[in-house]
Amino acid sequence: MVGRMVETESGRRIGRCRDMRAIAGRGTLRVTELVVGRRGRLEHFGIGTPRGQAPDAVPWDSVVRIEGSRIVVRDGTELV
Amino acid sequence: MSKSVDLGLNVFDHQLLDSEDRRCGKVDDLELEGGPGEEFEVVAILCGPGVWRGRAGVLGRIAAWLGGGGRVRVPWSEVAEIHSHVQLGKRAEELALGSGDDRLRPYIEKIPGSDH
Amino acid sequence: MKIFQVALGILAAIGGFVDIGDLVFNVAAGATFGYQLLWVVVIGVVGIIVYSEMCGRVAAVSGKAVFDAVRERLGFKVGLVALISAQVVNLMTLTAEIGGVAICLQLLSGLSYRWMILVAGVAFAIVVWVTPFEWVERVFGYGGLCMLVFAVAAVKLHPSWGAVAHGFVPHMDTQSPLLYAYFAIGLLGAAMTPYEVYFYSSGGVEERWGPKDLGLNRVNAQIGYGLGGFLSFSLMIVGGALFLEKGVQPEFLGSIALGVEVPLGQIGLLLALVGILFAVGGASIDTLFSGAYNLAQFLGWEWGRYRHPRGAPRFTVTWLVLLVLALGAVMTGVDPVQLTEYAVIFSAVALPLTYIPIFLVANDRSYMREYTNGRLGNVLGLVYLVVIMVIALTAVPLMILTNVGQN
Repeated sequence: MVGRMVETESGRRIGRCRDMRAIAGRGTLRVTELVVGRRGRLEHFGIGTPRGQAPDAVPWDSVVRIEGSRIVVRDGTELV
Repeated sequence: MSKSVDLGLNVFDHQLLDSEDRRCGKVDDLELEGGPGEEFEVVAILCGPGVWRGRAGVLGRIAAWLGGGGRVRVPWSEVAEIHSHVQLGKRAEELALGSGDDRLRPYIEKIPGSDH
Repeated sequence: MKIFQVALGILAAIGGFVDIGDLVFNVAAGATFGYQLLWVVVIGVVGIIVYSEMCGRVAAVSGKAVFDAVRERLGFKVGLVALISAQVVNLMTLTAEIGGVAICLQLLSGLSYRWMILVAGVAFAIVVWVTPFEWVERVFGYGGLCMLVFAVAAVKLHPSWGAVAHGFVPHMDTQSPLLYAYFAIGLLGAAMTPYEVYFYSSGGVEERWGPKDLGLNRVNAQIGYGLGGFLSFSLMIVGGALFLEKGVQPEFLGSIALGVEVPLGQIGLLLALVGILFAVGGASIDTLFSGAYNLAQFLGWEWGRYRHPRGAPRFTVTWLVLLVLALGAVMTGVDPVQLTEYAVIFSAVALPLTYIPIFLVANDRSYMREYTNGRLGNVLGLVYLVVIMVIALTAVPLMILTNVGQN
């Protein structure tokens, strides 16, 4: 998952997937968002604003399919 | 535990501590179930040399071979909390973790002075 | 009472901050270039102070030692590369240091070198196994204080203090710039040897440092390594005042100790040998444990120097295996002084893999909360990263071009 390019169905590039965000469920950890974009990479090294303070992810629900090296999300998906 | 965690940042490669705060390995990989259009969940933690194979190319395969290739699967339900480490709710032996230490301990104990 | 403890800790630390790499390079640099490289030692000492304070702070605030943090922050693949390079360099350093201890034992006892290697190895294993580590640190630290005899010798040799002062001013005034650069790299590599920060940060975690110990961490780093720097100056001054004068290259540890006999007589020689024995011996133990720490921390095993061996079996087996490997390597008859030069140069090449992760982690707000590097800390940290990259890239070429300092 991590490292693939996130694009909308119509081909608009949103950014590269850097990480997955999840919350606790019943005995599992449920993935809610994919962390996307350049900000994610810098933050991984501790530079810049801490994660989660600026829009940096797409909801998992918006993912339509995963093919090859791309993650395809619905048109109209924005960073949250 | 309703706060969200970033898997790569807060879970992967983090220290595992059992219910008695004993160090028993790292989160070497995660097992996820699901896909687009459905629930996508982490169902288990995977540890052990056998798990390294996919994570570091050639070096990873050599390390996996050197380490004996064992792997342990810890269902995510065993996780009690996530701080800067991953805290488990049971003791390491109950989860088949830390077995390397347990196997060596009898030999170490035979040598006098190992208990000061 | 707390001040007393801190003072004791610092005293114990002075002896521990000069190892065989510092010994060999500082004296050799003095014997070759007189006092001209003193300013490089200052740079090295400041570098290790900056970075060990950073490591100590990471340990205190995040509760993690260096290799824990390296794997968590930079991932398995990068961590594995860093681990492998650290272990290789560590083993070379350990071999050189045990060889150095064996030489000192041989000079002090007159018994055969090969037997002294075994004595050294077995003695280390027993001492570490049976004695609480606090005592081990203290014994080697106080014994290492004998190294102060080099400072006395430096003064007694009546160096030209004007020339010494001039040595602290950065300059390069020589017919052999390549050799000069080689020694500069060696001095920096020896001052900033990786195992020192691994050992220091692991100690901080084990002693459960917290944010309230940040002041202690700073004092430890500054005064401990500062005084170690002072000893390094003494070594170089002795090298310059005595060996350069006589045109002698001190190729043996014995010759280095003789450098003290000239101004201070037999007592001086004895103190020098004892000092070297304990300083290098203490360094051996630090290096040995560093190797075990790195592996255990990377893989998530139990670890600790203050725990009894049965509490951390794999960690214990690791340091025993490393010790045996190093003993075997010394037994092959490799010259410890020569091996030291290689070990320092290879340490220099590995410096980026050691210090870049530390710098990144020390700036990571999710680890460090409000205790990330301040502006000065980051400026210094970055400057040293640049210095380290230069060192790492030029170390091996210079070693080849100067024929390992023989020119």
